Order: sequence, then structure tokens, then C-alpha cells
Amino acid sequence: MTSNAESLRNRAFQAIRGQKPETVTVLSCLLAVEDELGYIPPEAAEEVARVTGSTINDVWGVASFYTNFQFQPPGRHRVEVCWGPTCHVKGVMPVIRQVMDILGIDGEGATEDGNVSLRFNTCLGACANGPVISVDHHLMGRITPDGARHVLEEIRNGIPSEDDGAS
Amino acid sequence: MADDRITITIDGVEVKARRGQTVLEAAIEAGIYIPYLCYHPGMEPFAACRMCVVEVENGRGFPASCTLPVAEGMEVRNNSSQVHELRRDVMELLIADHPHGCLTCHRVDLCGPQDVCLRHVSVNDRCVTCPKNERCELKDTVRYLGMEMESPLEYKYRDLPVETGDPFYDRDYNLCIVCGRCVRVCEEVRGDNAITFTERAGQALVGTSAGTSLLESGCEFCGACLDVCPVGALVESDHKWEKAQQVERTICSHCPVGCQLNLEVNRFEKVVRSVPEISSPANRGQGCFKGKFGLDFVNSKKRLKTPLIRRNGTLEKATWEEAFDYVAERLDEHQGDTFAMLSASDSTNEEHYLAQKFARVVMNSNNVDYTSNTQPDAVNAQREVLGFGAATNPIWDLENSDCILVFNANVTEEHNVVAVPIKRAIKEGAKLIVIDPREVELTRYADLWLRPKPGTELLLLNGLVKALLHQGLERREWLYENCSGLEPLREAMASLEIGEISEQTGIPQDTIDAAMRVYGPSEHSSIVYGIDNVPEELHKDCASALSALSLLTGNLGKPSSGIYPLKPGANSQGAWDVGCVPTHLPGTSPLEDTEARQRVEEEWSIQLPQAKGLGQQDMLRSGQVKALILIGGLDHPTADALQTLQALDFLVVQDSFLSAAAQRADVVLPRSSFAEKTGTYTNLERRIQSVRPVIAPKNSAAKPESWAICQLAQRMGAKGFEFSDTAAVMDEIARIAPIYGGVSHQRLENEGRLVFRPDVGNPLPTQVLYSDKEYHGIQWPCPTTESSGVEILFASGFGDAMPRIPIPDYRKIELAEDSAFPLLFTPGRVLLQSERKMTVIKGLSNRIEREEIIEVHRDDGQVLGLREGDMVELQTNGASLKGRLAFREGLQRGVVSSTQLFGQLMVEVEASQSPDPMSEIAGLNIAAARLVKVES
Repeated sequence: MTSNAESLRNRAFQAIRGQKPETVTVLSCLLAVEDELGYIPPEAAEEVARVTGSTINDVWGVASFYTNFQFQPPGRHRVEVCWGPTCHVKGVMPVIRQVMDILGIDGEGATEDGNVSLRFNTCLGACANGPVISVDHHLMGRITPDGARHVLEEIRNGIPSEDDGAS
Repeated sequence: MADDRITITIDGVEVKARRGQTVLEAAIEAGIYIPYLCYHPGMEPFAACRMCVVEVENGRGFPASCTLPVAEGMEVRNNSSQVHELRRDVMELLIADHPHGCLTCHRVDLCGPQDVCLRHVSVNDRCVTCPKNERCELKDTVRYLGMEMESPLEYKYRDLPVETGDPFYDRDYNLCIVCGRCVRVCEEVRGDNAITFTERAGQALVGTSAGTSLLESGCEFCGACLDVCPVGALVESDHKWEKAQQVERTICSHCPVGCQLNLEVNRFEKVVRSVPEISSPANRGQGCFKGKFGLDFVNSKKRLKTPLIRRNGTLEKATWEEAFDYVAERLDEHQGDTFAMLSASDSTNEEHYLAQKFARVVMNSNNVDYTSNTQPDAVNAQREVLGFGAATNPIWDLENSDCILVFNANVTEEHNVVAVPIKRAIKEGAKLIVIDPREVELTRYADLWLRPKPGTELLLLNGLVKALLHQGLERREWLYENCSGLEPLREAMASLEIGEISEQTGIPQDTIDAAMRVYGPSEHSSIVYGIDNVPEELHKDCASALSALSLLTGNLGKPSSGIYPLKPGANSQGAWDVGCVPTHLPGTSPLEDTEARQRVEEEWSIQLPQAKGLGQQDMLRSGQVKALILIGGLDHPTADALQTLQALDFLVVQDSFLSAAAQRADVVLPRSSFAEKTGTYTNLERRIQSVRPVIAPKNSAAKPESWAICQLAQRMGAKGFEFSDTAAVMDEIARIAPIYGGVSHQRLENEGRLVFRPDVGNPLPTQVLYSDKEYHGIQWPCPTTESSGVEILFASGFGDAMPRIPIPDYRKIELAEDSAFPLLFTPGRVLLQSERKMTVIKGLSNRIEREEIIEVHRDDGQVLGLREGDMVELQTNGASLKGRLAFREGLQRGVVSSTQLFGQLMVEVEASQSPDPMSEIAGLNIAAARLVKVES
């Protein structure tokens, strides 16, 4: 077994052990792991199964039910684009296309170099400023395709994103 | 009884129902059809498909009848136009993403499989692309709802790749309607949880964790999910597209559980599918990898079709006439003790009976046995104590046991369906104690896993008996009334030192005590034992000790408290019952029993041979035997055994294939398989069931041994072999074997219960897809035609035959005496090892790449100069295994262990070129071994 897998398993186990609530369920364990690792690797699913006395297939059933859980390691930067009704009406679709073009991916997921991961979100809670994207949990409103290109270039160049990345 | 029944009406028809039943169950019992797709008998209702919605007078909405409990006076409407309309709407949603070209084609009734109908159909998903063509519950339900031609042509195709990489069956989730039957049967019934629901809402489907193959998800390849799948999503990969011409019920020939199987036969007399029978009392709709996917040997092209006679050193084709003449002539020279006869492990009762009658009457020899009689001492020991060498209770009684002790048995692989009620009991909170040096599937579920050093099993059982008495856990009052011998046992046990037992076996004293604190006080404890890995010398006393344990706790004569010996071979029980063993006569009377001898001699009009007979192992060891008739192959064709066969003066083999033994024969006779025979098997719970001919292969002269034996006997001038059919043989058995006194073929057939069968012209889908009759068989003892058999032995006490609690010997066997192989290898096999990485390399046949782990105790490792993580090779006499060394504290010193994955075995079986690979699966045998360090 590679040391990387061993360390993932360890971290997952520590996260499961470290849960504060008294009621430990498959779901609470998965949330703890997601918080710690940012995704659910197979090793973590096995740990959850072991600790909760269920099977890996049970754990998978729960984990795949909730869209919150990721199964691939997230990229170093996390870009979320809102495609909720408001942002949709306010024209987020060209932004999404632009983002996917620049990142070279087709839908949700991480780029090949592991630098950026893209997720779609159904509401980021800032409908008045739609269309909205979030970069590393930092919201940006009234985004345009050009604005999005600008933000992604900044990420690529390693410049921390500024408040007014929007147009 | 009458008070328990309540009355409801369904569409104005009065229906009697039991309290707690659902409306759907009551309707099914009353023969009223309510369509359903996710319900399946034997599983909890799920209410997912909404097909069984009904209306209830003064009720709100449209409840699903599968979850609606019956209530007195309830008025249910199953046929109103509103109900119909709702069901159609529901169905439209269901088929919105199920390919349904099969529904909309106007020629669908005219075409069969293999027919190509592109020119007749405007859509491109021809009905024949579905392997469940003509067997699909969804299609039948759509037709029942009267909406086939109205169905929209459009549907959303999921466009998922068909999963064909796993052994034995394919999964096409494009056809799945997510009814969840497969997930539920795997979890609820089998306790395996190898598949699960994935994702949710519109994307919800069935799958495995992270989409891994079934080989690594804990699948036991029992096929239960296939049997319940209402659509074509799950189907066998062999004969996938074949259409069944007829279906016949028979008994599986792979193990003594006695599963009733419905074998589907195509028009070329080939067995194309096997579906376990729901109404069968022994298997309750369940089967296993062997019964489901391991019956193709009956179709094999390699089967022997004509007799062969060795002429000038080679086997040449001959006629039956020539063969009989030759055999009769040669056998005449070997009358008496130099002759021996071995019946097959899967011979029917009638055939076992004829084999022993032939040996005793025609050849004047008691050297008669069956090939898989590997533990006669254990059978005899239990018989001496309890009077019967068979299971005392039905298999499914285990389901309600509170504590189950499994001693040295790889149940999941060798008697698979017995593991199903055990796992179900565990789920309901029963305690499981496993005593086995090997890691087998059930150890995963064990509350206590006692892992004695091989060879010390008997010491451990002594320790358990002592711990039971020492802690005062025996049922004294019950014992005073029912047994004798308690005080002598107590005295014998008093001299034992539990500390010494603990040291010898390697099991801590606390664990021994704890095991008895679990086993002793529980209300319903059962014992399941196999002893296949205990040294032969200890068989007798181990069985005695186990019988003592069940007597001491009063766990006999009541439901869910039995003792179950698991023997190898499909009809081992029957062989003992009809006297196909060297030591016993038909009816399980010992050879020395003068009364029984008289009865048999009178019926047969001969003098029985006096000399004691040889058992199957001694026949091949002693050198006394010069001529042998062997039916079926040897169970363990070791080099030594084959050498002995080679050296015989005269060897006749009747087998289906030219096995290693047959290749050494002077005469080879072609043998019918179980699927071509009429007769009976007796399963491990003493249930006598009918074996029926399913196929009649063309262009083959193969015959059942019952026919061959009778012909040969007559050729040799013997009287008493003029049977018109096997039913007449059973009649003779009934005359001289009191436990079979009331059994006849006619009775076994007539006592089947007719059940409601869907009308073929107006297909009413689901549930009773195959059964038109339920057969319960008869559990012996059944002395008269009035007797209906006995489910639980000693239910009304022991009568005059008060058992004496045996005192087991106290000894062990040193197994590792070979200095070249100083260690003992205890191989293990489990369904799931999710923590171990493996790669499945898919191809024509799969390959699994995985690093094996070889486990020893730290002390042994250090003595050998090995470190944890070293690459080592484990060598036994004839085999080797490479892997990484790990130290395990739980292992005994001197023992080396390695646990493989069941999936690896399945891959090997699938790739095997042998015509009958399932019957060749080697057990997990303990062997002498050594460890050698190798370069990684």
C-alpha cells in the first residue's frame, strides 16, 4: 500500500474520530471527511464503513446521494459558478461556456494540472448581483465572460484574486 | 384460528386475510391479481414502483397495496377506471427511460430470439436486443394495463455501457427500472450488501461502491439478484439469449442442501438457465454460485456417449452389450472381499441402494461405499449418541436461533444456502461463535472467532465442555429427565486443566469461558459442524463432544435448536440411509444387527456376507481390493489414489466424462447426469425429494447407473434386480428400511400442492413465474404411509432411547512433523477485503492483480529471520504462493495463514477449461508448509 493512501486513511480516521456530536452516522462521518480532505477517497469510504459497522456499498449509497460530496481530489483553486434561475436569466450561460473553454474541461471537475476545480452551484445567495461566481469562497457579482477570463488568468498567474474582479 | 382471519373485499369479492397481512399479499393468496413490480415474496415491501396502487372505500388517495395492512371490512377497488388510469400514468413514467421497442412492435408475438426484424420495425431498438425477451415482467405488466400499442415511441436512453466484465452475469443498467429488488435481496435476504443504490432522483441507479467490479464488492455470485430482476437488466451471460422451451423442477447435484431448481431447457435439450424455487422448503428461492452458474456440465460436448473397452492398451468404443458381457466375465473372478464398489457422491437414493445391493448380493462383499464418505467416524459418533447421524432440525430453523456455533465448516462455499439463515439470524441479533483455524466468510460475522492450532480442535472442545460445566451452565433439570451420563462426564472433566488446554490450543481461558457464556444460556442454540479440516483420527470424538454440547444445554427436540452435520456430496445422507456404506445396512442398521440382517436377507433371499467391509479410503489403501466398480469420479484424485486404480486387476468406471480415473479403467461406461435421472435425493435435513429428468440428450448412449447395475446383475445371473423403474426400487427400500417405510415416488409427486398459475394466454406477470406446484418432500423418519415425516427430531422426547452424554477423548494430533515443511498453512477465503488494493484486468477472462499477504506470528517470523514487509514465498508440497509478510498476534505459533478473495476463485472457475469446474473447487485444506524469502 502506498504511503499516500495510508496517510489519507489516517487523516480520514482522525477526522471521523474527532467528530464533536455524540451521534455518529455514516453521513456525519462523510461530512467530517469532506471537511478534512475536501473529497471522499475510497480509503475514507472504507474507514467510514469500518467505524460505523456498515459496508462500503452502503457508504457509497449515502455519499453518492448527496451532491455535496466530491470523489476526486479538488484543485488548488475552487471556482463555483451559479447557474440558479436568477443567474441563468441574467446570462450566466456564456460565462460558464467561457470558463469551461479556458479550463479545458467539459462540465464539473478539476483541470488536468490539478490547479482549478469547477463546480456548478444552484444558488450562491447573491441573486441581486447575478450572475455570480465564487473563487476560493470569494464571491464576485455581475460577472461577464471577459471578467471570468480575467479572474482565471489571475489564478493561473498565481495572483490572489481582488475584490473587484467583476466588471 | 378462525378468529385470526379477517374479511376484506376486493372489487366486491370477499377475501379472507390474516391479521398483519398486506392487501397485496391477501390478494395473491386469494388468486386475485394486482400488478406490481418492486414487491417480491420473501422481502419487505418497498412501495417504490407504485404499480400496485388501489382505492379504498372511505379512504384517501391511492395507497400502495403492498404496504397497506388489511383491516376488517376494508373495501378495496382494484379495477376501477381511476385506478387503471393512475397505473397507466405511473407506467408511462417508468417506461419513459426504459427502451420499449418490444412493446410497440406489432409483430412482437411472431418473432423469436435470433429473428431479425429490421424491415418490419421503424424504431431501431428491436425487442430482441433485450435478453429477457418473453420473460419480462415489465412488458407483461404493460400489456396487462392494456397500453402496449399506445406507448410513446420516444424514451430517454441512458446510453450506459453494458457491464459484461464480471463472471457469470451481465448488468445492463439501461434496462433497469430501479425497483430495488436486487439491492434488497442482496441485503435483506443474503446479508451481503454487494450492490447499492447510487446517486439520486433522475440519476438514481443500482451499482457498486465507486463503480468497482462485483469481484471486489463482496458479491458471492449466488445469482439471487438475477432471479428477482423483473427486466433484462441482470441476466446470465451464458445462454443469454436462449429461449426456454420448457421448465422442469429438480434437485441440485452440487451439495447436500437439496435446493429445488427450476431448470429451463431450450429446444436442443440444453439446460440454459437455473432458477431456484421460491416454494421450496430447503432453499426458499435461494441458490448459490454452483447451482446457478455451475450446471453447464450437463450440456458439455465432452460428455461420454458410448461405452469404452480397453483393447490392446487403448480405450475403444463398444456397445453396452459388449461391455456387460466383458464386465460380467471379468467380475466373476473377483467374488468376495477382493471386490469393491464405490457409488458417486451425487447418486440418487435408488442408485446408492442398487450399488450396495449389487456388492452384497452379486459380489458377496461388504466393500461398498460412496466416493465422498470422508467422515464416517463422525457420522457414527453422532448416531451412537443421538440415534441419528443427520441434522435434527430443518435448515431454516437456524434463522431463529439465538446462538449458532459453527465448527470447522466453510459454509458459504460448500453448503452455501445454509449460510443464508445463519446470516439472517445474526442480523436479528443472534450470536455467532466460529471455531476454525481458517478465515472463512462467516468469521467476519462472528462475535467470537476461536482459532485453535490445527490438530488441537478436540482439546478445545473438551475445554468448552469443561467451561460449560465449570460455570454451571448445563440445564440440569432437562438433563435429569432426558439423559444419563452427566456425573461420569463431570468426573472426567474434573481432571482436565483448562490452563493446559488454553496453552495447547492457543485460545485464552477467558475466551473459552466467554464462548460458553454465550452458547450455554441462550434459549435456542444450534451447532453446525463440518470437521473437514480436523485430522481424521479426531473425527469421532469431535462429533461426540459437539453432541455433548448440544445435550448439556438441552438444545434438542425444540425449534431452532439443532445440530447440523455438514457432509460433502449431494446425497451423502441418502447413501447412509440406504446402506451404501460398508458398516451399515439399508435403514441405517449396523451390519451386526441380527434383526436387520434377517429382514434384509428375507427380502433379498440370500445370505449377507459376514466379513466387515472396507470404506472408500481403505479400499484404495489396503491392497486387498483387486476389482473395483467406480461410479462418478474420485472426490480427491490424488496421485496415490490414481496409482492404486492403475494397479487394480480390473477397474470399471461409469462417469459422465473421461476423468483421470476413467482413463485408467478397463471398461468405461457413459453415465447420465442428475438432469437426466428419475429418483430421489435426501438432503442434510433428512428431506427426501424427487429428482426429475429435465433433458434427454440426443445421440448419446449414456445411462443412469441404476439401469447399468440392474442389467449387469441380471447378466451375472443374479435375482432381485428386475425393477421396472426406479419407483420400484424405492418401494423395495421402503420395505426394508423402516425410516423410509412410508416413502414412495408416487407419494412425493402426489403430495405436491397445486398453486395458482398465471394464465398463459392472458399473461399475469410476476410472482409465480414458474411454480405450478409446491413440493415439500418428506423428512424421515417416515415409517408408514400415514406418517408425514418428522421436521424436528426428538420433539416429543427421546422415548426409550435416552441418550447417554458421551465422554470425548482428550488428545491432539501433531500435524507438523515434516522437517522440510515445519509450518502449518491455514488458507482462508472471504467475500470482501475492501482494504486491500486490487486491479481487475478485464479481458476475455478476467485477471486479478493483487499483492497477497502472508501472515505468521511474530515469534515464528523472527526465528526464520524474516521481517514484516519482506517478500516471501509460501511453499507446500506441490504449490506455492508469493506475498508480503505480515505479523499477526492472533495467529498460533507454527501456523502460517493467507486469506484470498472469493472473487479470485470465481475468476479461476470462469477461466477453467474443465467441463465441470464447480465440482472441482478444492476445499480450504490445511497443509504443511515452509516460508522462503524471495526478491520482491
